[in-house]
Amino acid sequence: MKLILAKIKVLSPSIRHFTLAPVSGTLPVAGAGAHVVLEIAGPGRVWKNAYSIISAPGAATYEIVVRRVEMSRGGSAWLHDHAQIGKVIEVQPPQNLFTPPRTARKHLLLSAGIGITPFLSYLHVPGLNYEWHHCGKAEDAAAFKALLPDAAHVTLHTGRNALNLAALLAAQKLDTHLSLCGPEAFMDFALATAEHAGWPAQKIHKESFGGATGGEPFTVHLRRSGHTINVGADQSLLDALEAAGLAPPCLCRGGACGECKLPVLAGVPAHHDHYLSATERAANDAIMICVSRAQTQELVLDF
Amino acid sequence: MGNKSRPIYAPFKLDVTGRAHLIVTNLAEPPLELAEGFDDITVWTVKTIGRGIPAPAAPGLRPFRAVAELLPQLAVRLAQATVGLRLYAIGSEAFIWDAFNVAITAGLDKAEIFVHHAGPLVRRVYCTHCRTMIEDVAADITPCPACGAHLFVRDHFSRRLAAFMGVIVDAEVPGEVPAAEALTS
Amino acid sequence: MNLIIKPAETFRGDYTYTNSDEAILRFPFPFPEDIYMYAVNVEPHVRGGPTSAYDAVFDIDEHYVGDMEDRAITLAEDPLRCQVLPHMNEAEWDTLELLMESLSYDYPEHFTLTKNGDEWHWVNRPLNIDQHFTFGRRETLPYGPFEYITRQVQGDFSVQDQRDGTLYMDGGMVTSQADWSLNFDVGMTFHEWHGPVPLAHEAGVFDRALQYLLRLQHGKPVRRLNWTITANPRLDTSPENYPIWGPEKAEINPANVAHRMCLRVEVQTLTRLPRSNAILFGIRGYLIRLQELARVKKWAIRMHRVIRDLHPQIAEYKGMPRYRQFIIDYLASYDDGSHLNSGTAPEQDAL
Repeated sequence: MKLILAKIKVLSPSIRHFTLAPVSGTLPVAGAGAHVVLEIAGPGRVWKNAYSIISAPGAATYEIVVRRVEMSRGGSAWLHDHAQIGKVIEVQPPQNLFTPPRTARKHLLLSAGIGITPFLSYLHVPGLNYEWHHCGKAEDAAAFKALLPDAAHVTLHTGRNALNLAALLAAQKLDTHLSLCGPEAFMDFALATAEHAGWPAQKIHKESFGGATGGEPFTVHLRRSGHTINVGADQSLLDALEAAGLAPPCLCRGGACGECKLPVLAGVPAHHDHYLSATERAANDAIMICVSRAQTQELVLDF
Repeated sequence: MGNKSRPIYAPFKLDVTGRAHLIVTNLAEPPLELAEGFDDITVWTVKTIGRGIPAPAAPGLRPFRAVAELLPQLAVRLAQATVGLRLYAIGSEAFIWDAFNVAITAGLDKAEIFVHHAGPLVRRVYCTHCRTMIEDVAADITPCPACGAHLFVRDHFSRRLAAFMGVIVDAEVPGEVPAAEALTS
Repeated sequence: MNLIIKPAETFRGDYTYTNSDEAILRFPFPFPEDIYMYAVNVEPHVRGGPTSAYDAVFDIDEHYVGDMEDRAITLAEDPLRCQVLPHMNEAEWDTLELLMESLSYDYPEHFTLTKNGDEWHWVNRPLNIDQHFTFGRRETLPYGPFEYITRQVQGDFSVQDQRDGTLYMDGGMVTSQADWSLNFDVGMTFHEWHGPVPLAHEAGVFDRALQYLLRLQHGKPVRRLNWTITANPRLDTSPENYPIWGPEKAEINPANVAHRMCLRVEVQTLTRLPRSNAILFGIRGYLIRLQELARVKKWAIRMHRVIRDLHPQIAEYKGMPRYRQFIIDYLASYDDGSHLNSGTAPEQDAL
C-alpha cells in the first residue's frame, strides 16, 4: 500500500517521529506490538526496514519513531536526511511478531535505546498493568522523556548501572511477565540476569522475526517443460513460476499442506517448509516450492 | 504420542533452573528421594494424627489435615512468592491438576509447574450432561450418581476441569450398556 | 448478491428445515475426489470458489433467521455454550469489528454499520436489531461484544490466543457443533482439543497445521472444509444433549434415510485478528438432506464412493456405523460407474 509522509517531528539529533497517512481510504488496524515494513528506494536497491507502529489501533495514521543508525547509508539515513512531507512511500501491511502476553497480570517492560518503540504501542491496550524501565543515553533523555508516559511506574535510566536489574527481577511476583526490547548486548545481559534469577523462558518475551519469504536470487531449470526461470530476491519460487505463466500445484502457500512438492534433480534446496520430515529434508530430492529456496545458485526440478 | 489431551507424566526431578522449590502432595509422605544440593525446598503433605490435629511440622515440612485445607493455603503462599519458585504436585491425578489450576490462577506458567501421578489408576470424570464430577472412577464406563446416565469415559482430559470427559454410552438405544472394563493405562 | 432469507425453519422437533434449489446448487460439497482421508486441506480464503457459498467472507444464506433463533434457544438452555476467558477482551472487539464490517460490506441490503469515531451504529434488518454503542465499552452492549455479534452470524466461532508456540482455545460460541464441548475444551491447546481425532495425529497433520496457523498473517485468512453425517437437520449435536438427539440416530432406517440423513459440511475459516493478534476460527456449518444432495448427479455418485470406501476408524469417529450401510445402499442406485472430474462444483446449472 502507498502511504504519504504527513508529519515529521525532530525529537533529538538522531531520533525522529514520522506520521504516515493513507493516500486514500483507511489503514488496516495495527494492534500492540505490530510493525510495518517501509520500502525505501535507494540507488540500485530497495531497503526494507521494519518499524513498530506506536499509534493506537484503528487510528487514522501510523506513527513510527526512527533512530538514524550511525554510519548508515540505508533506510534510516534516508528518512532522516532526505524524507520530506508529502513524499509517497510503499509500505507493506502491518504484521505482529511481538504481541503482549495477555495472560500476564503484570507486565514488566524493559527497554533500551530505540527499543522504546514497541512498548509505546502496548500503552494502548485497555487496562494494561505494567511497570516500565527504559535505559538510554543522556543525550537522548529529552527525546525519551517526550515519548514516555509521565507516571510513577515508568522510569527513565540514563546513567551507567542506573538500574539494578538483578534486584528488580528477583522482586517480581509470580503473575508477572517480562518483555524485552533493545540492542543485542542489552538483551543478552537482561536474559542472563533473568535466567539467573530463575525466570522461565516462557515468561520472557522478545520480538522474534521469522518466516521471511525472500532471500538470495537463484535460477531454476524445469526439466520437463524446458523453462529456465530466475527467482528474484523478493519472490518465492512458486511466485516466479506463476509469473512465467506456469500453474504448478499449490494450496496453502505456507509450507504446510504438501501440495506443491516437486522432485529436485540437481542443486541443493534451502528448506523452509513444515511438511517434509527430517529424513526427506536431508535427502534433498524434493522441495516445497511455496516457501523453500536454493542453497546453490541453480536448481533443476522435475516439472 | 505426547500429542493428545491425556497427560503423560515424566519421572519426578527437581528443576535446576529454579531458586526455590515447593512440593505439595495429597499423600502422607512424598514417595520420592529429594535431591541433595538444593537449598530452598519446602514439602507440604496431608497427614493427621487424628482428632483434627495435624502431624507435627519440621523444618521444611508442613503437614495439612486435608487437601481441602492445603489448596487454599497454596493460593495464599503463591500470591506472596516471587519469580524463581517451582511448584511440584505429587499424588492422585485429581489432586495434582487441582493444584496445577491453583498455580495457574496465581499466575504461574506451565513451565513453573511439574505434576507427577502417584497412587492407584483412577480418574475423575466429568458428566457432560449434568456437570457432576465423579471421583475415583476405575473403569471405562461409570454411572453418574446425579443424573443416572451411564457414562463412557472418553480418552479426553481437561486440565482446567482436572477431569476426563464422560458421555452417555447408551443414548442411541437406551439400556444398551456394554460391560465396563477396568482401566489399564 | 441477491439473498432472500426464508421465514424461520426449525432445527429440532418437527425439523421443517429444507433447502431451496438455489441453496442445493450453492452447497459447499466437500469431496473433490472419490476417496477421503485427513489432510491439511487448507487454502487462502479469498472470495469465489466452486459455488456461491464462497462469495462472501462470512456467508449468510436463506436459513439465517431460523439458524439464529435456534442458537438463541440453545443459549437460553445453556449459557455456557458461549464463554470467553477474561484475557481475550481485545479479541472480542476484534471479532465484532470483523463480522460487522464483513456483513455490512457483503450484504448492504440486510446489514448497515455506521461509525463516528468510537460511536457505532449497527442495523441488522433480518433480526430487527438497531443498536447504538461505543466501541471498546462493553457496558454499552446487551451482551459481551463476542457474544453480541456471534448471536447474529451463522456458524460456530472460537477465538484462539497464540502463546508459547501454540494456540489456546480461550473462547467460543458453540451451539451447532459436531459432538464436541466448549465447556470441556475451553482453555486447551491446539493438540489437546484435537486429542480425540483418530489417525491424524500419527500422520503429523496437526503438527503441520499448527505451524502453518502460527504464521497466519493479518489480511490473509485461510479456509478448510470438514464434514460429518447427522441424523436430521439438527444444529445442536452437542455431547451435552446427546441423550436427546442420540435416539434419533437409532430411528434411521432404509425407508427414511434419504429424507432424514444429512451431510453436514463445515467451511472453517481462520483469520488473524489485528488488535489482539488472536485467531478467529469460524466453523460455518451447512446441512443438506441426502435426497436433496442426490439431485446433483456428480455429488450423489461421489458421496456413494466416499462413504463406501471410508476408513473404518473415521466412520466410527464420525458416528456412522449404525447407518453407514443404509447410506451406501441409497446412494448406490445413483452410481452408474462413470468417471467423475476432480473438484467439488456441481457441474450443472439447474436441478
